[in-house]
Amino acid sequence: MDRREFLKRSARYAAVGAASVTLPGMIERVYAGEKEPQIVVANGGPGPATRAAVNAFGGMGRFVKQGDKVVIKPNMSFPNPPDWGSTTHPDVVRELTTLCVEAGASSVLVLDNPLRSAELCLVRSGVRKACEGLPQTQVQGPTNKAFYEEVRIPEGRALTSTMVMKKVLEANVLIACPVAKSHSATGVSMALKGMMGLIFDRKDFHLNLDIDVAVVDLCTVLKPNLTVIDASRILSEGGPSGPGKVIPMNKIIASRDMVAADSMTVELGTWYGRKFKGHQVKHIQIASQRGLGNMDISSQTVKEVSA
Amino acid sequence: MRFQRLLQIPFFLLFLFLLWFAAYPLPAWFDVNVFLRLDPLISLGSMAAARAFILKAAWAFAFLGLTLFLGRIFCGYICPMGATIDFWDWVNGRRGKSKGENSFEGAGRFRGLKYLILIALAASALVGISWIFLFSPLSLMTRFYSFVLYPVGLMIANLVLDLLRPVFPHVGLDGLSYVSYSVPLFNTNVFVALLVLSILLLGMIRARFWCRNLCPAGALFALFSFRPLFRRAVSEKCTSCGRCIRACPMGAIAEDFVKTAHSECITCLKCEEVCPEKAIAFKVGAKVPRLSAEMNLDRRRVLGAGAAGLAAAALTMTNLHHLHEGETPRALRSAGLIRPPGALPEKDFQARCVRCGECVKGCLTNTLQPVWLEAGLSGLWTPKITARLAGCEQGCNLCGQVCPTAAIRPLTLEEKSFAKVGTARIDKTRCIAWEQDRKCLICDEICPYNAIVSQFVTGHPVTVPVIDEDKCNGCGYCECKCPVAGESAIMVEPAGELRLAAGSYKEKARELGLVFHAKARVEDHSILNSDQREARELTEGPAVKDEKKMPAGFITN
Repeated sequence: MDRREFLKRSARYAAVGAASVTLPGMIERVYAGEKEPQIVVANGGPGPATRAAVNAFGGMGRFVKQGDKVVIKPNMSFPNPPDWGSTTHPDVVRELTTLCVEAGASSVLVLDNPLRSAELCLVRSGVRKACEGLPQTQVQGPTNKAFYEEVRIPEGRALTSTMVMKKVLEANVLIACPVAKSHSATGVSMALKGMMGLIFDRKDFHLNLDIDVAVVDLCTVLKPNLTVIDASRILSEGGPSGPGKVIPMNKIIASRDMVAADSMTVELGTWYGRKFKGHQVKHIQIASQRGLGNMDISSQTVKEVSA
Repeated sequence: MRFQRLLQIPFFLLFLFLLWFAAYPLPAWFDVNVFLRLDPLISLGSMAAARAFILKAAWAFAFLGLTLFLGRIFCGYICPMGATIDFWDWVNGRRGKSKGENSFEGAGRFRGLKYLILIALAASALVGISWIFLFSPLSLMTRFYSFVLYPVGLMIANLVLDLLRPVFPHVGLDGLSYVSYSVPLFNTNVFVALLVLSILLLGMIRARFWCRNLCPAGALFALFSFRPLFRRAVSEKCTSCGRCIRACPMGAIAEDFVKTAHSECITCLKCEEVCPEKAIAFKVGAKVPRLSAEMNLDRRRVLGAGAAGLAAAALTMTNLHHLHEGETPRALRSAGLIRPPGALPEKDFQARCVRCGECVKGCLTNTLQPVWLEAGLSGLWTPKITARLAGCEQGCNLCGQVCPTAAIRPLTLEEKSFAKVGTARIDKTRCIAWEQDRKCLICDEICPYNAIVSQFVTGHPVTVPVIDEDKCNGCGYCECKCPVAGESAIMVEPAGELRLAAGSYKEKARELGLVFHAKARVEDHSILNSDQREARELTEGPAVKDEKKMPAGFITN
């Protein structure tokens, strides 16, 4: 190593060192301003990371106002324990519910129309137990047609109308909190695909419609105000029901934009042994192209926090 | 209120209460099937037919013993059939009174029938055929309240809830706003209703016609109560007014007002209550004159009843659908006859099953249904999995837990998961992925055992479902959720079912070299064998770039 080389390297190291000391501070300062991040990735246990993720937006008060009726939509579709990764971690639901109650929600309804026996799903997924004793809170899996109402989908290309849970239509705030998992028909199932849990009849999605298009159609009328994706562990393959390969991730991904949240989660995870970008998932691509949200992560502000 | 009602009504409510709780999740601190296990006919009948001592059903012996002391108290106080009949008569204003001659001698014409029925049942049970489900009052009543009144009751409850729903939030009952019962549906319910209705209508002829003349469980109790310790006695104060004879719901009092047919007496104490002279009292060890010929049976009728029982057994054994292994190897098994997990081998299963319907009532998903004649004459009302209606839930083992005779073995959840009930088959000509090249794969999505995989197969542009029969448990969720209208394109067949009389299902599965390993088949593309599965796992990985090889839902660009 000659002197010139030594000086060059020293300068480079110094620059990197200086940057590593000052940059985080600068970034911190940028984000600490009023400007809200577009995507938040929170690291930590499912409960604390959920709180950290919401706090990174400035708290639940940004989404829930005093007296609001809130519907939280986790995935409770299967009577499997949380470690299978086929349902949302109960701690995530509990934390979100608590945050909503703290923000002054007049009622918090945790709703899903499960694929299997509703009662069993609510019990086995652990969500009912987790939300026990929370004020103004109900965990329900309504399967009776009487609880649904026909909704027209004016922007629908494949799906033009469907029956949606009345309570969702009556709510002021809808929060999606799906689990991040693989799906045998749509590649992955997160916030966009999860909206299928709020409707009555899903047979047509598989039978007569292009499911990727129909999911996006549905999301034109069911747009969550906040999406919190549970990637504490992901069901990397074998979804949606499991059992399958579960990878621990210790992450919660949150955004106002359901497409961005889905896209971010796709990128962070490993699916069927491979890495994918959000635009490689057909229904995410369609959703982004139709303006439901932005699947391009590089153009968005991503804030990473730890719980 | 009369003393009898003070006990009878609570017992009847208890019966309904226990039946209501025969549902998922089962209560931990009491057995919901105790009533069924108190019926000695169920107990002795299934033990005789199955030629086995059934510990679960041995309680009834204690009750037979009790009858030696207290008489037929079961009939008077505990039996839900008795309560139902009494209630029916009360609603119809009959209040148990009989028209015409009601003395033991005068109303005794059909009394021997119940013994003959009992003899016929016994003869049939001796050759291994159980008909007790046709006559056991507990079986009849459990079935009636489960299949007939339970769903109708829920429907009415839903109507009331729907009416009141707008009110609930304003009176602090927000929780009720979301309550809505899912109403189960039952096969054969109309027939069950008609059967019980005809039993009730027999009450037009005489009060408790069924209990006096037909009920073989009553006959069994009668055999033990010819001289119970606690019995009716009449003092000299009797003025022979005849009120007691007219009031007796069983017609158990002799023409002389003094003698009693104790085997017919249900210890309801009605005669004591109506006696204006207080001449009648039930006492321990009272000295009473004997009534001659309480059980009026001649040898010819007894032999005839036995022969009838054997004939009925022979008839069912030669029915096309009679499924007793080994005896009639040519018997035809209906393709859709999928038994609940843990059901004993068919012969034992039918011998033990008393068709009470407790498993059907309790079934979490309503998939268990009583059959008509699919399993032969003697298989009437036996339960089967109706996969098109619903799947058998992985996390539920209720049917075996509530079975009063262990015709369905009480398996742990883990054991139950190895109790394969059948294997799914794809009808490729109806499957919309195989036949119409459309993305579907609901069966793959729903399969709780990951036994269905979506595969690219030469000549098909979309992935198609393929069954890994080694993993298929036969639960039927695929058949239930298949979106094809009418008959499903994927159906569970009995092939590969495990039916163990004893021992562990898990070990049996391992012993056979199976996870849910049935024999692998190669040629058929809709069945994946273990080699193909391994090959599939090898070809998966980051190297594949072809869009066709991408997992469903992903695209390359």
